[in-house]
This record gives sequence, structure tokens and C-alpha cells, in this order.
Amino acid sequence: MSKHKFFSKSGDKVTPENLGEAIQQAIEIEIATIPIYLYTYYSINRSPDQDAISGSLAQKLVAKGKTAKEASEIALDLSAEIMVFSNKTGALIMSVAIEEMLHMALSSNLKQALAGRPELVGKSPSVWPACLPGHIPAFDIDRAKLSQDQLMTFLKIESPDPLPDPKMLKAIEYRTIGEFYDMIKTCIDQNDLPFRTFLPQLIEGNGYYNANNIDTVYYDKEHKPHFTNDDGPDSGDLVYIRDKASANKAIDFIVEQGEGSKAPGLNPDGSVNCGAIVPGDFDDPDKKELSHFAKFQEIYCTYKRLNERFVALDIGVNDINQYFVANVAKNPLTKDYPANIAPVSDLLNAVYTYIFVMVEDCYVKSGNTQWETFMFGIHKSMIFILNSICGDIMNLSYTGPDGKEYVVAPTFEDYPFGLLSSPKSQLIDLFNAAVAVYPAISYLGQRIQDLPDAPLHNN
Amino acid sequence: MSALKYSSELSMCGGPAPAPAPAPTPGTAASSPGTPSVELHVCMGLNACKGHDRFGTNNCAGTGYCATAEQHNCQTLNNCRGQGGCGLYGDIEAQKNPGNNECAWQGSCAVPIQAERFRTLGPDKGTSVWLQARALFEDRMRKAKRTVGPAPFKCGPPQNWLVSVLGSYDSCGNSGNKVCSFGFNNPADNAKRLCEGKKE
Repeated sequence: MSKHKFFSKSGDKVTPENLGEAIQQAIEIEIATIPIYLYTYYSINRSPDQDAISGSLAQKLVAKGKTAKEASEIALDLSAEIMVFSNKTGALIMSVAIEEMLHMALSSNLKQALAGRPELVGKSPSVWPACLPGHIPAFDIDRAKLSQDQLMTFLKIESPDPLPDPKMLKAIEYRTIGEFYDMIKTCIDQNDLPFRTFLPQLIEGNGYYNANNIDTVYYDKEHKPHFTNDDGPDSGDLVYIRDKASANKAIDFIVEQGEGSKAPGLNPDGSVNCGAIVPGDFDDPDKKELSHFAKFQEIYCTYKRLNERFVALDIGVNDINQYFVANVAKNPLTKDYPANIAPVSDLLNAVYTYIFVMVEDCYVKSGNTQWETFMFGIHKSMIFILNSICGDIMNLSYTGPDGKEYVVAPTFEDYPFGLLSSPKSQLIDLFNAAVAVYPAISYLGQRIQDLPDAPLHNN
Repeated sequence: MSALKYSSELSMCGGPAPAPAPAPTPGTAASSPGTPSVELHVCMGLNACKGHDRFGTNNCAGTGYCATAEQHNCQTLNNCRGQGGCGLYGDIEAQKNPGNNECAWQGSCAVPIQAERFRTLGPDKGTSVWLQARALFEDRMRKAKRTVGPAPFKCGPPQNWLVSVLGSYDSCGNSGNKVCSFGFNNPADNAKRLCEGKKE
């Protein structure tokens, strides 16, 4: 992620001269959120062992003087709450991550149409804790497991109101992501800019963007499925940027999905308002889907209420995350991992980076080649290669630099592909190295072999 | 497995050539080169011809017991046209067309299709994938002027039955088992609702 000042060419205003730089910054803001949300997502076990949770709770409750019948009833109820909460939290975070990828593509379409080819490879945060490029006030963002603290960070990222930090209020350039996009929108509206519609974009109608899949679904206590993203006509989609109206439409999707339509943000003291969800919290005019901010607000408040129920029982459970959150380290790096794990982490990061390589390629290729790259390269990599390695690597553990034992986590670092051979040939070399230390991933070989051969651009 | 070798010729090419005949099952003879190929379809009750199910023992169209297409567990892993399961990933068009995809890798979910699988996108999200596959199959048979018999299970193969027959069964996703109870529902009631064409 770039560390340079937000607008280098003409102060703190978006102008036709620095528009490309500003949109690139928007792209990097969207990219910065992806490893953060994915890291926390993968720390969650969405299907924990209910019998084990229930049995443990019942024992603790009996030890506190409940009858076996009372203990059993409470344990069943609370364990079911945990089952729903863990799965719902995973579904909601994934639903946000999917929309962040949509926002990255929408911003990339904007740049392609107005200012030049989008740059995606090597733009994930490289220093941790990270920050949102250009956000005032700056705040630390960790790759961390699910916790109340991590959810507070998510809420700051998606806050529709400026964050309470009186020290910084005089230096306002962009205090919320929505405010930042408004500056881009104003520049596009107020200037007669040419739209380069002859270049490829990722556009609607090709099946590239799907608001829901099984990973954005969770089951309630009666095991009925709920779909966390709306998929109606106003719920957000890719937009072909061809004029001011389409540019505005794309920006409106991004802002409304993230922050919601004029919803209140954090309380003035920086705490979370756990009152009822209000209509402004929805991200679409039909009010069928919560904004990112409201989704995280809902997770945060449910988490808080569940924790309070457990604390009230006085059974020694102060944080329910012990039942379904893996003990992953904060901001781990591949170099922290031992020799029998590092090659697997390298492969994982190379697949993660190769997804951006393929997306960049989609802004160079069009027609069937673009479609095949997207559907059989990007989709396949996300769901059947990256997701699979994330699951596999988390079966391993290691001793961290602090001497503590941790579950191995996907680090989502950009892999530095060299220029002497194609990224795909390097991916295959990395697979061979990884499978040599961890044969359990051998089933991924064919899927990697099948990927398209996308070159590096923008280098 | 042996080390992969990079070749630009192998990109987007698929794996080894698929075996067209159904996998051998205990008590039946394995396919041999002389065995006639069967039509490849994605699930129970979707066979067009006699003897074209996994066990090769069914009589009429629509009465077969299981898929002849290669078993796979998720989107883009189908070998060819008409061999994708669909339902849990993919766009609305793909989810409308289980067992009816145009080409390799265009199916959007596992084969075979368990009775409990529901669509995740569009106005019909939450409805049965297998019932949609059967409707497409019956439509095709109607155009071919063929009578269709009942499927062994009215709403497709229950997941637990697939596990008992196949040894294991997995369809995609991280959201947990589709056949489950947290202690406040009877999974059979949920399956019944889906079978009646209601939304999950």
C-alpha cells in the first residue's frame, strides 16, 4: 500500500490533474480492507462442535448449583446461540468482503475510463498495523482474530461520521470514505472529462458479480437459511463507466454499501450505539440490506449481549470467542513461520497476489478471454484454491516470536513475483515446494495447473 | 503426487480425460472399453434412458438412482456440458440451470445434488435445486415426447442417503451442514418444506 501523501500534485482537492492519483488511492483503500476482513473471517470456526460447547456449559452450570435439567436447558439454548452467532458473523463479514471486492472493481472501472490502467498488484498493506491511505485521523488496523476490539476497528473503517478526534479536526481532507468519494464525484461532475469507453472494464451482465453465495448464508436457531446481501436491482452491481451518470452510479453504490444512507455512526464518545437498527442503516433504497457499518454494529452488539449473558452466569466465561475463534497471532508474517510451514504460506500469498494479477489482466483483455480469466481464473482461485489453502494451513500450529503457541493463519501478504518467468510458472514452483512439506494440499495441483497464464502489467 | 511442470499449453485446459462410464460399485462389473457409454447426467431421477444411472439397473426415464456424471464437490469442477450441479455459487442464470450448463467448468455446484440444497441468488433463492433440475429434465422429456417415471426419492436424494451410498459426500461452502439441528428444529420438517417447493 502506498505511504505517500494522499494528493501529491495539487494540495488537498481532487482536480482533473490528480484525478487518476485520487482514484488509485480509492482503489488502494478498497484493497486495504480485503486482507483485514478475510483474516478475521478465517479466524472464525463457523460450525463449532455444539455438543462439546453444550456439555462443557452444562458441567459448569451444575457446578454452580443448577439442577441437571436446568443446566441442560440453559446449555442447549446458549450453545445454539453460539452456533448461530459464529455462523452469522462469518456470513456477514464475508458479505462485506465480497462487496469490498466489488468496490475495488468499480473504482478500477472509474480509473480505466477516466485516467489510466488500475494498479492492483502489490497494493495490499505491507506494514502492520496498517492504516487507510489518507484517512484523517489515522488509526491502526491489525490483522487480528475476531474480538470486540477488532470489530471496533471494522466500525471505524466503515464509519459514516468523522471519527471523534478533536486534535485532528483542523486537518480535514477526508475523514470518512464517503467524504473522499464525494470529492472524486464532484471533480467528475464539475469537469468535462473524456470517458475512454474503448478500453475493457469489468461490467454488469457477465455473471462476474454475485451478491450472495453459500458463504454469505447463515442459519438461524431453527436452521432456516438467511441471505446477508440483497440481490435486487438496487443492491449494487458492476457498472460500465461511460459517462457522468454511470460514474455517479458506481460511486453511489460504493458509498451506500459501506456507510449506508445517512445513518448515524459511532456515539460522540466513540462507543457503539446498540439501539435498534434504524432505516438509514440500510444500504439500498428498498431497505433490504444493512450497510457495512450496520452489519458490524449488529455483530458487535450481539457479541456484547451474548458476553453479558455468559458473565451473568458466573461460570468463568468472559469472552465467548473461546468457543469458535482460532488462536491466531496478531499481524503474523510468513518469515515468522518455520521451514515446514513457510512454503505453504508463500503459496497461499502467491495465489492471493495472482488474483490481483488476473484482475489487472481483465483490464487489458476483453471478450471471451476476459470472461474465461474471470470465471475460471479469479473465481476458481478465490473459492477453490485460496479458500482451500486457508482451511488447510489452519490445521497447522507453530511457536511465534513471542514464544507462544499459535494456529497458523493466512497472512495475505503480496507475493513479489519476479520478472524472469511468468507468474503462473512461479506459482507452480511454489506449489511444488509447498506440497513437498505439506502433502495434504496435493489435491490443489490440477486446479493450479488449470489457471490462466496471466502476465504482470504495470511493471 | 509428482511435481507439476509448467507449460503454457496446459492453462485453462482441464485435467486428465474423464472416464465416461459410471464408477464401478460393489457387486457390479467395472466398465470396460466394450461397455456402451451412458448419457452423463447429474443426479437421481434425471436419466433419459434405461440403465443409465450409476448402478445401470434402472428401467424408465427419470427413475434412476444416481448421477453418471463424475462426482465433484463444487463450482467450475464439472467436466463438460450438462454435468454441473449448481445452486450454491454462480450467477442467477447458472443457478436456474442445474444439469443444464453449456460447457466444462460452467456448473456452479456439486454433483450429485442433495435434496437439501437450495438456491442462493435471485427471486427463487431458498428453493430446491433438485426440483429445478427435475423440472428442466421433465421439460426436455416432454419435448422428446417421452413418459417420465417417478424418481426413487420424490425430492431428490437426501444427503444422508448419499453418504450411505457414496461413502462420503460434500457440497461446497463454509456455512455448515445443510442437514442439521441446533436443538430447535426437526431437519425432516425443513426438508419437507423445501420438497413442497417452499422457500427455506
